[in-house]
Formats: sequence, structure tokens, C-alpha cells
Amino acid sequence: MNTSTPSRSDDLVVDIRGVTKRFGARTVLQDVDLRVPRGCAFGFLGPNGAGKTTLIRVLLGLVPASAGEMRLLGHPLPAERAAALARVGAIVEEPRFHPHLTGRENLVVAAAPRGAEAEGRIDAALARVGLADRARDRVGGYSMGMRQRLGIARCLLVDPELLILDEPMNGLDPAGILEMRGLIRSFVDEGRTVLLSSHLLDEVERTCDGVAIIDLGRIVTQGTLAETIGPQDNALLIGCDDLALATALLGSLPTVTAVAQSSDGTLRVSLTSGASAAGVNRALVERGIAVHRLEASRLSLEERFLELTSRLGAA
Amino acid sequence: MTANMARSMISAEFLKLRRRRGIFWWSLVLTSGTMVAAFTTLVILHLNDPGHYGPAGGVKNFTGSMEALIGLGGVASIMIGASAGAGDLGAGVFRDMASSGRSRITLFLVRVPGALLLQLPLILGAFVLATVASIVLAGSDPVPSATLIAQYGGWVLAGTVLELILAIGLASVLGTRATTIGVLLAWELIGARLLQHFSFLGDVRKALNSTAIDSLKPDLLPMSVAAAIAVVVCWAIVALAAGAFRTRTIDA
Repeated sequence: MNTSTPSRSDDLVVDIRGVTKRFGARTVLQDVDLRVPRGCAFGFLGPNGAGKTTLIRVLLGLVPASAGEMRLLGHPLPAERAAALARVGAIVEEPRFHPHLTGRENLVVAAAPRGAEAEGRIDAALARVGLADRARDRVGGYSMGMRQRLGIARCLLVDPELLILDEPMNGLDPAGILEMRGLIRSFVDEGRTVLLSSHLLDEVERTCDGVAIIDLGRIVTQGTLAETIGPQDNALLIGCDDLALATALLGSLPTVTAVAQSSDGTLRVSLTSGASAAGVNRALVERGIAVHRLEASRLSLEERFLELTSRLGAA
Repeated sequence: MTANMARSMISAEFLKLRRRRGIFWWSLVLTSGTMVAAFTTLVILHLNDPGHYGPAGGVKNFTGSMEALIGLGGVASIMIGASAGAGDLGAGVFRDMASSGRSRITLFLVRVPGALLLQLPLILGAFVLATVASIVLAGSDPVPSATLIAQYGGWVLAGTVLELILAIGLASVLGTRATTIGVLLAWELIGARLLQHFSFLGDVRKALNSTAIDSLKPDLLPMSVAAAIAVVVCWAIVALAAGAFRTRTIDA
């Protein structure tokens, strides 16, 4: 497991050690350790049923842990739960509201147990998520994207140090996803921490600085995005008009260590350290081979995810 | 928790109930609406056939209207209480409320005053309407005395508030509004009434909420007022304790 995340409790907004959760005879979380550093967007990934939402519910005190220790914003749980949650905004699974109330009224209801300051932040929160104009409409008429944004507004009522967002991109169109991504990054820029649970790996890769992957109730890796994906080898994907000639030519180059043809008609060319794509391209063109594709071959979070989780066997 | 926060939480509960238009209008129909309809009918009958139908007001029609109010007001109270008890769970909002860090017992207890804020004006409005009509329309009949009005007022209040509390407690346990309303109506209209008539149950029947409420009715005292009040309070405590326990322990 990668261990480059900060280890001092002060630097951690979430510090979970050895947490286990059982529902009857079924163990949903097994000896989970998770450390989320302060001031970043942290992706929390896992296949469906891996235990993502259960861990979030345990962290928020919505269900009790069977064993283990947790600290949230430095406060031990469950002993100082109220103090810890005072600066935590969370959407668990999907944002739910009273459909017969307006967006603003729902925030009034949500602010009531959170104090007068929370009530004073309602209008600013609605404006921040772009719902000020629709605040007096009943939530029953809101689209999924509007509900997601209202959920974010509800999180903002406590001026959160930590936002826990469970699948916030669900139901959003491409523009909505882009907007949500910008919103999350803006929270991080303000010094807040965002714990983002998702199975949209591409989105997590674009949005997050750190990541943890959970599978079958266990954390299988956690660390920065680069650490989690692992070292990238120096390789190229090449598409050209004469694969046989290109394979023979590339195989003879001293900077090339391996050439493999993939089923989609491209060549995956492994290079020695320091070798450049330009040199390979020049060699191909000088031999009269037309190159129509040349790109760096990168290991993605998705590939790493599939490699680490039980989905690999099913894929 | 500060007094301001308690006030905000109670206001929020009231807001959730007040904006349920169906509950509000049906409760209004069952309380003031029924009183208006009843006295209007009595006035029309009296005007058409004064020899056969006496004045619309007076003591007799006052007591009759109170019996109607405790029954139909009880139904309205069950509807309001069920919405207060199961509203957050039904809408899926309880999870957010629980993750506010506020005590779950507090989240449960504020439902009671929040629901009372909606229920009491409806019951009191209907009570005042019936009382005024009974006095104004009494004609040559005797008008209800202040003592009788106070006694019936207390009886209606006790009966309807108990229904409200039972509904809040049961709805918090069951988590659904419709089931709570169905169970409580079945209990009040069928279950409790049947048990009251099972003579082999003897004094056990005095533990029924309906027997206790009936016993508080002026001029009808099959059991002592103190015993009846004790039974009513016990029912309320059991309902509140069950609702609070479930709210505290439920997985959110």
C-alpha cells in the first residue's frame, strides 16, 4: 500500500484505523485504514457494493462501527461527534429533500439543527450553486442536476472544512459534470477538503489529488494519484499505413526495446529511458511510412482500478 | 442546544407540516368544516320545520358537536402526527438531519411541538366555532355553561392531543405515514371499541386509551378522573418513548 499521505493527525481531516462494520453475520468493512489529507480533493473509489457508502455512513455516525478508531477533523468519534460534524457537509448516496417544500425552505429545514449561522448562509449558498433564481420553486419539480446542486448548497450551510460527496456526478449532463468539477476544485482552492466517492474513474482522475480504492470492504491502495496509478513506462501508441514495415524498422532501432501489435491495428512501442517520440516519428517518416497516430501510452486510473479490484476477474 | 435553536427546529417542523397542502386542507375540513356543515344543516332544518326540529344551538347540540369534534379532530390529529413522525424518514431527509450532529432524541422531540402548532389552532378554531354557534343559535333552549364548555374543551383537547402523540410515536417507529394512519384508525374505530365490549377483560379495559378518554367526558365517569388521566399520560409516554428509541437507534 502507498503510504505517502501525511501521518500526523493534524494534517488529516479523516483518520480511520482498523474500522470494521458487520451487519449480522455479514462483514461489510474489514479492518479499514483511511487517511485523507487536509486541503485536497480525495477520490474514494470502489466497485458497487465494495463498502464506499457504508464507510461514509460509519464516518458520519449514521450507523455505528463494529470496531476500530476514527477521527474526523481531529475529533475522536463517536465521543466528539457533534463537534466534528459541525464543520462537515455531506451528501450520502443521493441528495434527498422534502419535495413539497421549495429549495429555500428545504435549506431552512436543514439549517435549523445547525444553528443561526447556518441559516444566515442560505442565500449565499443558493447563489454559489446557481439556484438563487429557482429557490422559490418546489423541489419536486427540480431536475437531478438541480438537486445535486441544492445538495451542495446544503453542505455549504456549515461553512465546511470537509465536504463528503457521494457520487455527485450522478445524473448530470456533460455541462453539469464540468460545472461540478469546477465547483469541487474551487472548494479545494478555498482550503476545504473534498472527499469524493465515485465510480466515474475518469472524473476522479481529472478532479482529485489523492485517491483510495476499496474492494470487498478493504482499502487496497491509497495515496496521491500518481502513486496510485504507478510508474509510467516510456511507451508510444503508433498508427501507420504499413504495420509490417514499421514493426521491422522499429525493431531495429536501438532506442526501442519492444514492439507489439494490438488488435485495433496500432503498435505499442516501448522505448528506452530518455528516448523521444520525435526520433521514432522521424525514422518512420524517413522510410516513407505515413504516421496517422502517435501518442504516449499512459497507464490510466481505470486500468489500475481494474487491476486492483475484484472487477478484474469479471472483466 | 440553545433556546433559539430549539425555536428554529420547531419552526422547521411546523413549516414541513404547514406546506403539506393535502394534510392542512383535509384537517380543516374535518374540524371547522364539519362544524360549519353541522350547524348549517341544523339551522336549515330548524327554519324549515321549527315544530319538529329545535334550535340549532343549545346544550344538546353543543355536546353533540363536541363528540363529532373529538372523533373527526382525532382523525385530523392522526394525519398530522403521522406526517410529523414519518416525514423525514419518508422523504429520505432523516439521514441529513442525523448527520448534522444534533442528538436524535432532540430531532424526535421537536416533532411534538411542531405538530401541535398546526393541530391546536385547527382544533381550537373548530371548538370556538361550535361553542359560539351553540350559544348564538340556542334560541329558547338553555345555553352551555362556562363550566360545561371548559369541561368539554379539556376533553376534546386531551383526546386529540393524545391521538397526535400516538401518531408521532408510531410513525417514528414504522417510518411510513400511510401505514401509521391505517393502523391507528383501525385501532380507534375497530380494535379498541371491540376490546371495550369484551366483558371478560374486566378492569383491563380501563387501560385502553379510548376508555380513558371516554371517562374524561363530562357526566360520564366509569373510572375516576385521576385514573383516566394516568392512563392517557401512560399511553402518551409509551408512544413518545417508542418513537424516541426508534429514532435514536435506526440506521440512517
